[in-house]
Amino acid sequence: MIAHADRPGAAHGADDAEVIRRSLDEPDAFALLFDRHAPELHRYVTRRLGDSLADDIVSDTFLAAFRRRDRYDTTRPDARPWLYGIAANLIGKHRRTEVRSYRALARTGADEVAESYADRVEAEVTASAAQRELAGALASLSVGDRDVLLLVAWADLSYEEVADALDIPVGTVRSRLHRARKRTRAALGGVDPTAVEEGTRHG
Amino acid sequence: MDDLETLRGMRAEAPRAEADRLRPARDRLLTEAAAVSAGRGRARRAWRRSGGRGAVMRRRSIGRAGVVLAGALALVTAVALVVAQAGGRSGGEGGTAHGGPPQAVRYADKAVVLEQAALVAGSRSTASEPRPDQWLYRKYVVRQPGQDSEPRVFEEWTRYDGRQRAGYDPMGRFEVTDVPPDPGDDDLSPEAYAGKLRKLPRDPDKLLAHVRGDRHWIDLPAEEAHLTEDPDVRAFRVLSLYLEQAAYLGQAAAMPPKLEAAIYRAMARIPGVGVALDVRDAVGRPGIGVFHTPAGQPLMREYLVLQPETFRCLGSSRVWLRDERIGSELVFPSGSVYSSAETASAIVDRPGERS
Repeated sequence: MIAHADRPGAAHGADDAEVIRRSLDEPDAFALLFDRHAPELHRYVTRRLGDSLADDIVSDTFLAAFRRRDRYDTTRPDARPWLYGIAANLIGKHRRTEVRSYRALARTGADEVAESYADRVEAEVTASAAQRELAGALASLSVGDRDVLLLVAWADLSYEEVADALDIPVGTVRSRLHRARKRTRAALGGVDPTAVEEGTRHG
Repeated sequence: MDDLETLRGMRAEAPRAEADRLRPARDRLLTEAAAVSAGRGRARRAWRRSGGRGAVMRRRSIGRAGVVLAGALALVTAVALVVAQAGGRSGGEGGTAHGGPPQAVRYADKAVVLEQAALVAGSRSTASEPRPDQWLYRKYVVRQPGQDSEPRVFEEWTRYDGRQRAGYDPMGRFEVTDVPPDPGDDDLSPEAYAGKLRKLPRDPDKLLAHVRGDRHWIDLPAEEAHLTEDPDVRAFRVLSLYLEQAAYLGQAAAMPPKLEAAIYRAMARIPGVGVALDVRDAVGRPGIGVFHTPAGQPLMREYLVLQPETFRCLGSSRVWLRDERIGSELVFPSGSVYSSAETASAIVDRPGERS
């Protein structure tokens, strides 16, 4: 196994697979998995949907994961792809909310998602010009392309991990990422003015 | 700065969630975990159960026959004698050979107590079986390890034919859910379980031989094929499971009295079985604790807690005999106790009814 020192799931003697295996006999042990991954997962969902939805989605993700823990592939020491995959499905149910916030950000420069946590940290609630362009591009992506792009950029998953999370081949990860980045590059370069308008298809 | 770097900077101030913020989600997860622990009883295989909840429950106890009362009085005397004798021995059978539980435990002679249990059980009255469309209501209490853990109360309803289940979700909403047939699930519906119990041998030796050879408990699913279990451990676990399941299933309807008697007599013949006194269930009711001590260094001792006069199943209790760690993290220190208690049950016509 490859231990990423900064990843709590793999850093200690007992990896996530061991914890999940243990939780089959001792369900309470699953709380360890929660303690390892919930804070960062919450941050990821917050970045996509704002922090009030993040509470529910994190809770539902771990409950769903717990209920299907007997089907976890214990050859995989790090449970993050599995958890982020479950979360991706739950986030997908709120895609209208997500796309609306990107559009509002692109149009007005005001970021309602950043406002949702601005009482907890000093947050930039007004976006830069580049970020407004970027938000417009994010709004224009299909759900699948956006999941891949943001799992790479915001959750720091590798291509292989994204493939695991979304249950798609690594080649599909590459092609989706390529397609998504064509939009984001174009948005930042100001080359592709259709990117924002195309977003209406997905709203 | 390329597009990915700009993207990484977007909403980058979003904070990691603090423990306080995550507390409700964590509690919800632990509530679910507690329900699984309690519904499972000793059946490690019941993890496969869809929905994770215990599938079966117990009927309110039926009035006892006069002979049972007489038997109960006899037992009190027998236990008193046994305890007096045990004083001179080193903690009694199965207790201290492997370090023993942290607190002093008093033991009774398993042959005397389990034979008494067999006599009491053999004279129980029986009741007719529920209809397939009736529901088994079960209320139970779980106390998790740890000083600050409050006992949690659960209620659940299971249709007798196993097709539906009902209960309150963690947000307090009542929901009835279908249980689709699952070929990979080795759990049985209450109806099928009662049928299985009726077919078991009523002779203790034949019963023990049957349990040791029952493929239902030996043939593990592919992903568990690497697990092996000592035949004595399995025999005790499966017999305990029968007693617990019958308790949820509508005892008088599901458990033939002669079978229950045979279960206690078979248990008495398993090496390593012992009987402890003064074991409490999750609501503090005192009972006798029947347990099995396997060879080696067991992590915990699991008691099946029986009411000392009627020998009805009150619940279960697990005591950690040593620290349990996962990697470097101490999950359950030695002396931790997990317990459950069956506090109400009934056969009802509709989910949500309690009597």
